[in-house]
Formats: sequence, structure tokens, C-alpha cells
Amino acid sequence: MRFCNLILWDMKFQARYGFYLLYGFLTLLYAALLFSFPEAWKEKAAAILIFSDPAAMGLFFMGAVVLLEKSQRVTSFFAVSPLSVIEYIWSKTLALNIIALVVAAVLAVSVNSRSISLVLLGTFLSGILFTLLGIIIAAKIKSLNQFILATVPIEIITFVPAVLHLFGATPEFMRIYPANVCMDMICGREFSVVGLFFTAALLVIFFYAAYRSVSKMWQCEGGEKL
Amino acid sequence: MIKVNNLTFSYTKKSFIRDLSFSVFEGEIFGFLGPSGAGKSTLQKILLGMLPGYQGSAIVNGTECREHKSDFYESIGVDFEFSTMYDKLSAKENLLFFSSLYGRKSRSVDELLRMVGLENDTDKRVSDYSKGMKSRLNFIKALVHDPKLLFLDEPTSGLDPTNSRLMKDIILEEKKRGKTILLTTHNMQDAAELCDRVAFIVGGQIFALDSPHNLIMSKGAAKVSYTWNDNGEQTASCPLDRLSEDKLLNKLIAENRLLSIHSSEPTLNDIFIEITGRTLV
Repeated sequence: MRFCNLILWDMKFQARYGFYLLYGFLTLLYAALLFSFPEAWKEKAAAILIFSDPAAMGLFFMGAVVLLEKSQRVTSFFAVSPLSVIEYIWSKTLALNIIALVVAAVLAVSVNSRSISLVLLGTFLSGILFTLLGIIIAAKIKSLNQFILATVPIEIITFVPAVLHLFGATPEFMRIYPANVCMDMICGREFSVVGLFFTAALLVIFFYAAYRSVSKMWQCEGGEKL
Repeated sequence: MIKVNNLTFSYTKKSFIRDLSFSVFEGEIFGFLGPSGAGKSTLQKILLGMLPGYQGSAIVNGTECREHKSDFYESIGVDFEFSTMYDKLSAKENLLFFSSLYGRKSRSVDELLRMVGLENDTDKRVSDYSKGMKSRLNFIKALVHDPKLLFLDEPTSGLDPTNSRLMKDIILEEKKRGKTILLTTHNMQDAAELCDRVAFIVGGQIFALDSPHNLIMSKGAAKVSYTWNDNGEQTASCPLDRLSEDKLLNKLIAENRLLSIHSSEPTLNDIFIEITGRTLV
């Protein structure tokens, strides 16, 4: 019950901070952009848009959300409430990825994607990975500038190989690279099962790292100035 | 309610909290008094289960603090000295959100807001609240799940005298409702007025632990100060229990020459300085 409430409240916060309005506008903009592209470009363009925005929004927005909570010292209160770190991480991750899935679905439909369900699965998987990364970074840093700097190397090691892979410019063994597995799914094409296994393993590792980071943040924030 | 035995804790190799032992009984208001860096916050963090690496024993509500699970906080309410609210949400939304974190039945949010005089500002965003309003809202947030044990950190800080009085009355009312309250404050007047017992903490050690009344009475008798005119205003004082031996005072009374006379007891602050040799900064 608490977990469901938490997701609903997280969605309410997102609405209050204008996430839904922003993504409503961006979805229309992206759909219009895709509509204007030649037919041959549409599917790949949609994959790039989905991977770089709705799927990756967790990386940027989770940073903003956690930094905001830290600045308002709400995390101090979480540390002395029955809320568990696992509930906190999953509610934030799921609440944010609900918007990602809606945006991805609209874009996939607008280009008549080969497999909407695969696009959604890829968006969801990459969305969780990016959101967990956002939480790990935001839990450790103190300012938005630090956060932006910390996300640059992540963008390079995820976006560059994934876009190159989309255009077939990467060697065969790179099919198992998690960002490429997600890109294959988002593009609605066949993906590496071994790669999916690696992606799942990476998700477990990221979750563990996020758990450690948030626990440390709560302990530090909650006890800092009692 | 709280039982601490031979508690020792250190952030470095040197002990910060040293061999503390004390108990807090159910239904009492217990005050931690001490200067900054005395170990009050560390002690509270240990009691709130946030610093598990201590030696000795610290049992809260029957649970050893280092072994607590998340339901440990179901019966604990914490009022931080600083605001811990979502600025973009209204006061009522904040209370509803934080009450949703608990499995216990919540108290009426409207009733709590009315209790601290915020009934006309329930739908106002917290970012538009004044410091005093935030302080009152933060306080009732600690009560929203009707906990058995309350940790209050400077609950009257930043409040005007009227609201400070209101807050103290609510604290006493919560005590009547059976809550156990741990109060951390620099305000000796608040401590003397609210606490059943206080502990003076300096350098991670308890220097004294008793009721404010006993502490005051054990360390100094009340004095009588008086003034009279003798080529300008003169002042003298003598212990209350030796008034009859003060010949000057008796003479001045007989000659009706006293300008003023009043008795004064040492304050808790005086006692704190006398016992610990420190001031509450």
C-alpha cells in the first residue's frame, strides 16, 4: 500500500514540477519532427529520439529530483521514517519510467514501428538503467553543476556506441554491450540474448550501487544536523 | 522506553561518547542540554538507529538500536530544527504525503493544522510560509502518525512568544496523552519549564542528570537582594535562610529605608555553568 502511494505521490510531484507538461510538449514536437522526415529515416530517427530522451530522461531528471529533495532536506526525514531505501529507489524509478513509456509508445506508433512491445521493453530497460545511474550520481554530489559534469562521461559511453550500433558501425561483439542491446530493442529489431543477460546483470549491479549510495546519503543527511 | 548502558561511540580512534548510562521513562519529557559539539546530536543519531557502530547498549521501545528494522520508526516522531518539507506542495499535501509513509492510523491533518494555528494556510505552498510557520508545520509533521516517542530539536526556535507558548502547551498536552518526549534545546527556560528531567552533556559525558528543580535546589540557596539610599543607591544580598542574621537588612527594615527587596533563585543556566564549567553556545 505504502509503495503504491509512494508512486502516486512521486507522479504528483512530477506533475507539480511540470514534467508532464514538458513531455506533452516534447512528444508533440518529436512526433511532428518524425512526420516531416523521409520514410526511410523515420524508424532510426525515432529510435535515436526514444533512446536519447524518454529512455535517458531518468539520468537527468532523477538527478534533479534527488538534488531537490536534498536541498529541501526531505531526505533527512526519510532516514527516520519507515520508508525503506528499496521502496524509495523503485518508486522513483517506476514513476519516472511511466512517462518514458507513454512518450516512447506515442513515438513508436507515429512511425509504425515493427514491434511496439519490444520498443517499450527496450525503453523500460534502458530507462531503469539510466534512472539508477542518475540516483547513484545525485546521491553523491551536491550541486547541479557537479551533476552535469558527472553525466558527461556516461553520455559518451552510452549514446555514442548505441548510435554507431544503430547504423551498423560497430563490430559484431558489441551486440552484447547493454546500451546496444537496448538500442536494438528500441529499434524493434533482433537483439543479443547474451547481451540481455549482461544488461540484467548490470541492472542488478546498478541497483546495489544505488542502494548503497542512497543509504549513505540518508545516513549522512539525516544525521548531519539533528 | 529508552535504556542506555555503557554506551561508547567514536568517529575516530578517540571516543566521542564515553560510557553513557541513563534511562528515559515512559511518559516523561527528558531534556538533553549541552553546548554545540557536546555529543547531543550523536547521541540522538544513535538512539534513532542511524549510527550502528556503537559499543554498549541503547534500547529504544524494546529494540536494540543497531538491530532496528524499518518498522522501528512507526512509533517514533522526529522534529528536526530545520524544515524537511517539499516547498512546492501545500502544508496539507506535505502532511498527507508524510503520513502515507506510515502504517499506523494517522491523526487528522486538519486538526493538527488547527492545533498550531495554520488552519487558514492549509492550501498555501510551504515555500510561501514564514520561518515560524514552517517550524510549526515541521512540528506537527512529527505528530501525524501519533508516535509513542518524540524527538524534538529546538521546537521553539524562531518562534514569537505567543507561538512559543502555544508550542510548549502542545508539548505538555502530548505528554498528557502519554507520549515520551526527548527534547534537545539550548533554551534553559524551556527546559526548566517542560522537562521532568534533564541531562547536562559536555564532551560526550553526562555531568548531571536530575529534575530541573532538584538541580537548582541542590546547587544554590535562594538569595535576597535589597537596595537602599545612602549617598546614592546601595545594593547588598544575603542567603534567604540567613535573613535574620543580616543586621544591616534588619536595621534598614526597622528604619523603613529599603528602596527595593527581592528574592532570586539560581537559574538552570547558572547551574549548568557551575557544574560543567561551560556555557551553552
